[in-house]
Amino acid sequence: MTARQTAVAAAAELKWMVNSAALLGRPIRYNRQHAKWWGLVWLLTEQLGLSLRAAAAMATVALGGGGSSTRITAGADPSGSASLIIDLARYESIFLGNLSRALVHETPRRRGRPARRGMKGDALTTAQHYGVDLGLIRSAIARTPAERLALLEKNAEFVREMRKRTA
Amino acid sequence: MSFASMLGGLTKKKVRFVVVGGVAAAAHGSSRVTNDLDICYEADAAANISALASVLAGWRAYPRGIEGGLPFIMDDRTLRNAPILTLTTSEGDIDVMDRIAGVGPYDAVRRHSETISALGVRFRVLDLPSLIKAKRAAGRPRDFDHLPELEALLALRKTSKKAE
Repeated sequence: MTARQTAVAAAAELKWMVNSAALLGRPIRYNRQHAKWWGLVWLLTEQLGLSLRAAAAMATVALGGGGSSTRITAGADPSGSASLIIDLARYESIFLGNLSRALVHETPRRRGRPARRGMKGDALTTAQHYGVDLGLIRSAIARTPAERLALLEKNAEFVREMRKRTA
Repeated sequence: MSFASMLGGLTKKKVRFVVVGGVAAAAHGSSRVTNDLDICYEADAAANISALASVLAGWRAYPRGIEGGLPFIMDDRTLRNAPILTLTTSEGDIDVMDRIAGVGPYDAVRRHSETISALGVRFRVLDLPSLIKAKRAAGRPRDFDHLPELEALLALRKTSKKAE
């Protein structure tokens, strides 16, 4: 995972993660387990206002169990009057949603300005230089949106079938 | 498993959404084949989030690219806390998002959309100039690779309108 993917999976700001890691003296690693831990620390500090150290300790307790409990008491006062319960099943759902988004959408970005191919300002020449078949575009324009999407549905079905056969 | 069944399911449950991404590009004339439906939904209305979450739960939605068998609750609370989801469902792959980079939240996306009737359903799709803006703002190589085709489409549409 990249640094950006880890931050997206944790639903936290990358700068906050880096600064918090420095404050905690904890090396930052860009992987799924760390993203999950940082996500919970971010939630406890930003949403519940816990101190960074307290949040880090509670996240470690909550995620370190490895058991099948879905609700964990991450912290309580000595008298037991007040406690912090973490709904792990709910947190896992939200984390998996963010993790999926990080893996599918947050692919590495191209650095700098995009390369301009062909003549500047001429979209058709640029497209031709890029290998786009303008005849295909012209024939698509001649169709209605309904016809275009019917064709897409047919082609997508063909691709799905091919993937199934080759899987 | 088809775009028609997904679009039909969403409109039947009265989910307010705009189709963006590859399906919107195909509706405007792009020849690229996409396998997932991307939608931008109205996230300010609790009823809309509930309706969308209920449709997705009915389709047994699960985060795409994640190994199966992990606990995932598809409901409105999950959607409120993770407003951008990439999911695989019984009806096909779907990406749901509350805002589009380069365009804005649902209201802005809706303002830059047009209604079409296709696959037996009437729905809104993001217009071509906004789709180009969104692809440029996304900044990923695969989005940049799509830009020459979309820009050529826009140019050809403009010239054909002038000719008319």
